[in-house]
Amino acid sequence: MNFNDIVPYLDPADKEESLKEFFGREDIKSFLSEKWKEYTDTEVTLPKDTDEQPLSVQPEEIQTVTNPETPVDMPFIPSIPDDEETRARYQSLFSETRHEMFSRKLKGTHIQFQNGKVNQPYQMLLDVMDLGMPEVGRLEFIGLNEIGLNFNPETCLVEGIPTTSGDFKIKLQCYLQDWKEGDPVFEKPVTLIINPDPRALWNSIPTPEDIPYYKPDSDCKYVKIGRTKGFLGMGAENRKDMVAASQRGRSHAHEGKPRDDDFSIIHNDNTEWYTAIVADGAGSAEYSRKGSEIACRTVSEVCDTHLTKYSKEIDELIKDFDRDNSDSKRKKLGDALYNILGSAVFKAYKNIEQEAVGNDAQLKDYSTTLLVALSKKYKFGWFVATFWVGDGGIGIYNKETGYLKIMGEPDGGDFAGQTRFLTMGEVMQPTEIYKRLRFEIVEDFTALVLMTDGVTDPKFETDSNLQKPEKWDALWKDITSKVELTDDNEASAQQLLKWLDFWSPGNHDDRTIAIIY
Amino acid sequence: MRRLPVYLLLDTSGSMRGEPIESVKVGLESMVASLRQDPFALESVYISIITFDRDVKQLLPLTALEHLQLPEIVTPESGPTHLGAALEMLCQKVDSEVKLSSADEKGDWMPLLFIMTDGKPSDLQKYNQMIPQVRNRNFAGIIACAAGVKADTQPLLALTNQVYSLDTTDSSTFRQFFKWVSASVSVGNRSVGASNDIALPPPPPEIHTVI
Repeated sequence: MNFNDIVPYLDPADKEESLKEFFGREDIKSFLSEKWKEYTDTEVTLPKDTDEQPLSVQPEEIQTVTNPETPVDMPFIPSIPDDEETRARYQSLFSETRHEMFSRKLKGTHIQFQNGKVNQPYQMLLDVMDLGMPEVGRLEFIGLNEIGLNFNPETCLVEGIPTTSGDFKIKLQCYLQDWKEGDPVFEKPVTLIINPDPRALWNSIPTPEDIPYYKPDSDCKYVKIGRTKGFLGMGAENRKDMVAASQRGRSHAHEGKPRDDDFSIIHNDNTEWYTAIVADGAGSAEYSRKGSEIACRTVSEVCDTHLTKYSKEIDELIKDFDRDNSDSKRKKLGDALYNILGSAVFKAYKNIEQEAVGNDAQLKDYSTTLLVALSKKYKFGWFVATFWVGDGGIGIYNKETGYLKIMGEPDGGDFAGQTRFLTMGEVMQPTEIYKRLRFEIVEDFTALVLMTDGVTDPKFETDSNLQKPEKWDALWKDITSKVELTDDNEASAQQLLKWLDFWSPGNHDDRTIAIIY
Repeated sequence: MRRLPVYLLLDTSGSMRGEPIESVKVGLESMVASLRQDPFALESVYISIITFDRDVKQLLPLTALEHLQLPEIVTPESGPTHLGAALEMLCQKVDSEVKLSSADEKGDWMPLLFIMTDGKPSDLQKYNQMIPQVRNRNFAGIIACAAGVKADTQPLLALTNQVYSLDTTDSSTFRQFFKWVSASVSVGNRSVGASNDIALPPPPPEIHTVI
């Protein structure tokens, strides 16, 4: 083959044409087919010294393609050899990315401890599967032991009883599956919040005695009413006694603020009328402690005066009403009570107003609720009359018969703490006063109970619960488990006061209760 | 169990990016920490955080202080301050989250609202529309805070008479502000009743009352 012969055909100007012509030549044709024949007849062997020689490839494994148009052998990329050395080399590369990947994943994973509380058992499940990190073989936590917690790898639970409160930075350590010495340990800080035990946070600061209208932080009273004399000691019977207690709420004690509640219980031995009153001064009103005191004292005094003065008339009206439970008798008795109890309430309002004027303050600074019960025993049963403005509750409860009568409705608003007060002008309208008067004749009762909302909120929670006898059963069981309400037991006043200190989360208002039993 | 709902509306518009928002976070953390030390708050305070920039988000639904963990707060590069839209979301959330008294359920305390902005509402028309709506929600107190020199107190005054301004948006100022917020929340716990206005504790010197 003479290459000089080919050169003219490779003239760049008309290469296409000339090459066509070149390959068309007979001598070239025969030369090529001769060469091709030569080639296909020969055994294929691999070129011996190529730079590209990959790893230690066995020649016989190389597949080649014979292509008539491109007379070049094409070895496929060989599969990765499966020997120790190669594996080791690949392994390190692979695990590096595995570590990087996990590190990134851990960073992006939101791990959160639920908040705990001091002295309350804590338990939280931390499962690597739930966290979407199945590659983790083992978890450890640094900083849990110091606050009284530990992690149990068996159960995947963080548990224990926290001993201190605060925001703690816990270090989470992740050991991947097949972890061995020298491998990285992945860390992530996680915040654990331990709340203080609210009980431990309450202070009890005595109310400074030099504040205007100072009153003691707690009060209690027992009114012992002895047996009836009977005839020469015959037929003498026990009579119901009265007990009341009032305790400053923790929210006030915490700040050294005074008790706003008040009460009054009296028994008139001549007329044999029982008068029980509780009042809750509004927390937001500056002098409400005086408002509640004036209200209790005034109503108690005025009622007693009237009931003494009109004792006979009232007795007659009540007996009439018992005999003939008609609307007209009811109206007559209601009118009489309006004149006694209604006017006492109105007088209380006026007295508070006078006090406010004298002190150059506003009436609303003396805001108070007022719950009054008048009661007297007759041959046919007990007569009970009540007046109620504000929240709290008055109930006649009979444990034996399951009888329960709530003497009115608590005044509530849409929101907590919203109620009506004696000091509101609209409450002192005659129709409004009349509406709030209730009376009832019952055969007997286990207890006639008056409570401020400091007691009804934790014990009844809602207005509809106040109507449920089972809630009263629970209350009565609770009280009598701590307070010995036996006849003539004067020690029960202190016991009742102590009972008022019961714990109920979120309910730390002043608490006052009066019981005729 | 009576709850005291506290809504925090926080400006996360572009101008809050960087130090201001970091300072807000620090302030929030110290506020939560100090409320946790108040036994009454610990048992009754529920907090919700709504942020507003171009978008309005409730980052934290009304959550008991006891269980609360502060969410991550992010700010966009730039963008408007949609306070009006934030008030709209606030009203929706109050309607669905705050419980009113009924025979079978004890109502919450009247909620408290704190608004913090370093600018002025970009959606002024909506903002003005929402003002009477917010009033209808019976907040025991609405306390608005205009932070920094660019904050406009005028629109805030239309919403509440309790508007306060902060000269700077650094961390010590915000810390003071949130400390005062937590003191106000503690007071708010107890002072609801005879009057509808809560008596706030006096603000620290960094906080100026805007009249």
